[in-house]
Formats: sequence, C-alpha cells, structure tokens
Amino acid sequence: MFNNAMGLILADNKKISLGELSNPRALSAMPFGGRYRIIDFMLSNMVNSGVKNVGLLTYNKYKSLMDHLGTGGAWSLDRKNDGLHILPPYVNSEATNINSDEELTGVIDFLRQSRTPYVIVAGANVIFNTTFDSFIKSHEESGADISVMYNRDGTKYGNPSYILDIDDDGFVRDMLYNPAKATSQRCSLGILCLRRDLLIDILARQMAHGQSHFGIHSIVKMFDEFKVHGFEYSGVVLRINNVQSYFNSSMSLLTDSVRNDLFWSGKPIYTKVKDEAPTLYFDNAEMSDSIVSDGCRVYGKVEGSVIFRSVTIAKNTTVKNCVIMQDVHISENCHLENVILDKNAFVRPGVRLVGHPDYPIVIGKGAGI
Amino acid sequence: MARTEVVAMILAGGQGSRLGVLTKTVAKPAVPFGSRYRIIDFPLSNCVNSGIEIVGVLTQYQPLALNTYVGNGHPWDLDRNNAGAYILPPYQSNAGSDWYKGTANAIYQNMSFIDDNDPEYVVILSGDHIYKMDYAAMLKSHIEKGADATIAVYEVPWEEAPRFGILNTKEEDVIEEFEEKPANPKSNLASMGVYIFTWSVLRQALIEDEADPNSNNDFGKNIVPNLLAQGKKLCAYRFSGYWKDVGTISSLWETNMDILDKPEEINLVDRSWKIFSRNPVKPSHFIGSGAKVKNSALTDGCRIFGDVEHSVLSESVIVEKGAIVKDCVLMPGVVVKEGAHIERCLIDVGTIIGKDVQAGNFVEGEGPYTNHKICSEGICVFERGLKIRDGAVIPANSMVDQDLEVPADCDIIESTFRA
Repeated sequence: MFNNAMGLILADNKKISLGELSNPRALSAMPFGGRYRIIDFMLSNMVNSGVKNVGLLTYNKYKSLMDHLGTGGAWSLDRKNDGLHILPPYVNSEATNINSDEELTGVIDFLRQSRTPYVIVAGANVIFNTTFDSFIKSHEESGADISVMYNRDGTKYGNPSYILDIDDDGFVRDMLYNPAKATSQRCSLGILCLRRDLLIDILARQMAHGQSHFGIHSIVKMFDEFKVHGFEYSGVVLRINNVQSYFNSSMSLLTDSVRNDLFWSGKPIYTKVKDEAPTLYFDNAEMSDSIVSDGCRVYGKVEGSVIFRSVTIAKNTTVKNCVIMQDVHISENCHLENVILDKNAFVRPGVRLVGHPDYPIVIGKGAGI
Repeated sequence: MARTEVVAMILAGGQGSRLGVLTKTVAKPAVPFGSRYRIIDFPLSNCVNSGIEIVGVLTQYQPLALNTYVGNGHPWDLDRNNAGAYILPPYQSNAGSDWYKGTANAIYQNMSFIDDNDPEYVVILSGDHIYKMDYAAMLKSHIEKGADATIAVYEVPWEEAPRFGILNTKEEDVIEEFEEKPANPKSNLASMGVYIFTWSVLRQALIEDEADPNSNNDFGKNIVPNLLAQGKKLCAYRFSGYWKDVGTISSLWETNMDILDKPEEINLVDRSWKIFSRNPVKPSHFIGSGAKVKNSALTDGCRIFGDVEHSVLSESVIVEKGAIVKDCVLMPGVVVKEGAHIERCLIDVGTIIGKDVQAGNFVEGEGPYTNHKICSEGICVFERGLKIRDGAVIPANSMVDQDLEVPADCDIIESTFRA
C-alpha cells in the first residue's frame, strides 16, 4: 500500500471499436464479467494499491460512465481530499471545438493540483487484478524516467498492439505498432509509472507541438530521450481490442484459473451496487459452466455463458456460449448460440440465432428481435 | 420540509432465543436471510421507501454485528446531512445506567433523541419481520382518522389467532380491546408490531408507564392497554401483503423457502420497492459443468459444482462436486464438501460441512445434538464457524452447538474458527 501515487485513466481509446457495442458508451464503460464494467478493474487496482486520487479523462460518450461512477463511493473514492475526478473535454468560454488542445489543458491543471510524486497512467482496454506496489518499487529501483507494464501476449489479441523491444537491462529500445511480424512477444499493457512533474512537462511540450490528445504510447515512444523501463506482469490479463477479443475474454472467465486470478486473489473488484434480488432458478432450469449475476430468473437452459444482472431466460429456451447483458429478456422456445446481447434487448418467442465462435452475432442495446 | 414529520424507531435489541445458536453471537435482526439480505434490511428499506429519513435502531443484545452492518446507513441511503440511521444502545447517565427493560422502556430511554428531532409522529417497528409495507400509507390513515395511535394488523386464520396479540375492533376499525394470545379470540386481527403514535401522546404514556413500578414496560402489554383505558383513539390499519415473523427456526426456514415457492408474494424483484442491503463485493456466481441447480436462489460469490435443489444460498457459498444440498438455507461463506448430503439444514456463516457428511431430516434417530425445543420438522441448525468432521452423521432436529458437551466419540466438530 502506498500513498505516493495518483491515478490517471483514459476512459476511451480511439483506436478500439467494438462496433455496435461501442455506440452507446466509452470503452471503459463496457459491461464485462456479469456485474462489472471494464473500468472497475483498473479503479479497483488503484484503490487496492492505496491510490486516493484518480482522474478519469473522457472526450465523448461519457454519460454511461458518469452514471456508473457517480461520486466514486463504490470504490471509496468519495473523499473530501482527492477522490475521483471526471475530466470531460475542457471547454472554456472561447473554445467550442473540443478537438482543440483543451483535453490536455484539463489534464495538466488536474495534475498540477495533486501532491503525490508519482502518477500511474492507464488505458481502458486491459482487465487484470493487481496492486501497483511492485510496479512503483521497480520503477524507483531501475532509475528509469518512465516505466511501462507489459506481458508476453504478443499480437494474439489483434490490433492495436504495441510490441516492445527491451534490452538486457530491461530498458525499451524500440516499439512496434501492429507489426506484421512480431520480433518479440512483449506487448505493452498501456500502463505507465512516472513522476508527476515529468508528465506535466511532457504534456506541456506535446501541446506546444500541436498535439491535442493524450496518447500513452506517444510517451513510451520517447525512449530515445528518456529512460523507459519495462516491467513484466505475469498474472492473468484480458485485453479488449475488438468484438472478438471481448467475446473471447468473456468466455475465458469460465476457466477456473482465470476466474480465481481475477476475482479470488484477495483483492476485491468494486463496482456500482444495484441491490438486485437474488437470482432464482426454477423447476426446469438447467445450468452448466456459466457465470450468472443477481436478479435473474432462469427457467430454461444455460451453458457456457456469461449472464449479467436481471436477465430473464424463459422455459424451453437454450442459451449457449453467449454474453447476455443487463435486463435482457429472452422469451420461450429460443435458441441462442455465440451471441452477444447488449443491455435491454428483447428476444421474442421462437427466435433462433446462431453465430460462430470466431464471429459472434452482436445484438445492440435495446434491440427487439 | 422544515419540520420533521416522522421518526422511525426499530426495536432491534432482542436476543431471539428461539433461534438457538443462530443468535448466540448476533442479534436476531442481523441474522442473514433470503440469500442477499439480513432481517433488518426489510424494516430499514421499508422506512426509506416510505420516505422516512430518520431511523433510530435500538440495539442491546450482541450489538457488534448489527452496529457494523447498519454502520452509517449508507446502503439504505440513510447517510443524510441532518437525518439518517442512528444506532441507539443503552447508555450511562448521571442517574445511573440501565439496560432496556422492555420495548417501551427502550423508547423511553431515547426520548431525548426523538425530542431533538421534534417529530409529529413516531413509527415503532420491530426488527424481526419479513414484509414490505408502505408506512406512509399507514400514516395517512392515522392522520385521516385523527387517531392517537394506529396499529398495523394482519388477518390470520382463526385457528392460529391464539398465538398472536389480537385486537378487537368496532366500526371503522377503532380498537376496543387488546388481548395477548387469547384462548378464545373474538377477532382474527393480529398485531404486526408496527405502531404509529402521535408523539405527544406516546411521550406522555411512556412517562406514566416508567413511573409504574409494576409495569413490564412493554408496548403490547402496557402502553396499548393503558391508552385504551384512558379513552384514547386507537385504530387498526389492515395490511394484506406478505408478512412473516421469523422468530423460530421453523418459521425462519419456511420464510426462506417462500422466496422459492411463492416468489410473487414477497416479490423481491419489484424495482419500485427494492430491499437494500450491504453489498458483499463478490463476483457474480459460477455454476460449473456437472452441477445441477433447480428451484433455488443464489447470489454473488457462490461457486456450485454439485447438486442444489430447493435451497437458498447466501454470498460466497461453495458446493463441491458430488455434494447434494436440498431444502437448505446456507448463510454466507458456507462450504459443503465433496460427497456431503444435507437436507433441511440451516447453516450459519462460514461453517464447513466435511466430506460425505449426512445431515438433515432424512437421517433417522437421535444424537447428542438433538434438540426438540429449538428444532422441529426435521430441520438441523449449525452454529457459525464450525468445521464438521468428514463422514459425520447428524440426525433430524439437531442443533450443532460447539458449547454443548458431548461424549468424545460423538463429537462431530473437528475444529472451530471465527466466522
């Protein structure tokens, strides 16, 4: 536990689209794992590390994120000192174009007001459960200016991937973006540790060069100028780069080792509390190999699926290898396989939808079928 | 709303001795119920949903778990600036210190709390009933009828009336007489232990009751009859929704089973009247391949690899492969090991049922833990924090209590731990 770092999370990623699933929300607000949103993991990692001041940088579609986070109470970040700060595009009375350098101005102001020596900067597309204690310790010991977390995922999650070339002393000497042929399996997790004053300097300089967006890897890319140290993370990491990796990452939660590492390692993942009723399984319910959240009513058959809160699965219906988000209603006599159903979707009786495990069908938020 | 209209007081200090080992270290209102809840979640949520924002929780018996659970009232939105949930334990003063002698005395000792909030009306609730009730509708009736006190009543079957406090009424449900457990009831209107008083009337009655050395200081036995004798206007308020007293092992078990058998009656999924609770912060539950789950209620953190039928499981319960759990109520963190077979068991927090244990109503005979006083209908009860030995056989109607001295060869408790 440390008290010497603040957190900065980038709520969205312009390089990542989950198609229809991205329409209503920023990437970090994407529902994941039955009762979470992606951001819950990074926020909990920070809070479990003792971070008490977190800024969340958003540039669009942040309504669902703000609904989810509220004042940050669920993460114990509703504090008098510090706490959770949502940083929407900073638009002053003169500037109305949010694509200007206002985003960086807002971040710099926020960073200046903090008092901690270090900042942990994180993106929105990685899911894992850790504390940053050893990351910070390694940063201090390495004498680096900037540290970046990576693991050995290579390019298997698809684009965007940033492959790091690291020398024998652990310093980054090259970085390849979406290489056709990876020279190394070391793939950046997009998580940085650096001194707060250095980050302010770098951002101010980027602004002066006309850059308007905060790019984590534009900082890593400065390995010629700064000492950038790599820190290998060996635990379970799930990456969300596209619909397919969202689906695969969701399905990997059904593996004991993944679930145990993410949820049962003694570091809780906090999320917004909804006070749903317990889930009820009725007479003919048949369940296997599935994650189910509170408030559901199951009359049918569920196999190999991730079911979010308050989902109804009616009788004589089979749901197999699916991700079913909150408040979805699936009527009688349906058969769904390899389908991702976004929130509030309604499936009428007798519908048959079969996707391929390598190309799941996506049904958008609130759709009726 | 400049002036506080109503303050609610929840009587949560009782031991609930008929729940046996379940209330050995926690007060009854803190006993886990219905997979996600504790008993006190119901009156607390009813208060908030009724628009009552000042709630005193009177604690006395084993208050630690209850105090921790209620905390600052945040889970029920009762952490307001000038309102919220207040834990009210007995206290010392210049005049000495007193335990709460009875329900009326508990309120008497906290008169200054109520006076400080200066309400027009006070709602008195007990912390041991499972129901959803709009106290605002009851208050409306109290005001419209110009009553000094209004008592919520529930129409019970006539043959059960002798078990309850019965109110005899005349036209417009004005109460004429209160009879505690009458052998020959004249009415079937049972008091639910939910009262609304005009505060000035109750305040006076409490002072008079305290001055009477022969009083039991009890609402049902003293305050209500005294007010009737003084000619005050007491009205009955008929409630017809789901209402259950969970004062005994069999009623606690049965009320849990009602969630499965009559889900529409208590209707926990009603979003207009949510029952709020303190969240355990656990992931969604997981049901493994080869598991069977039927007619059951599950919540966050459960991991199921065996057979679960007609049971209510609280957070983080583990049922291992080959285990059979039927008609059971498993409280948070209970583990049922491989090959164990349990039926009609109420198992308190964290207890581990060893491999191949057989327990419950299907096991005949009697054992050292058999307890017909607390247990009935074949239900077995396990204290919290026990590790039950592999292969133990526990017959119907047992109450497994670590403080009970049993012959060494009958000892089924392998170890105990704090849960």
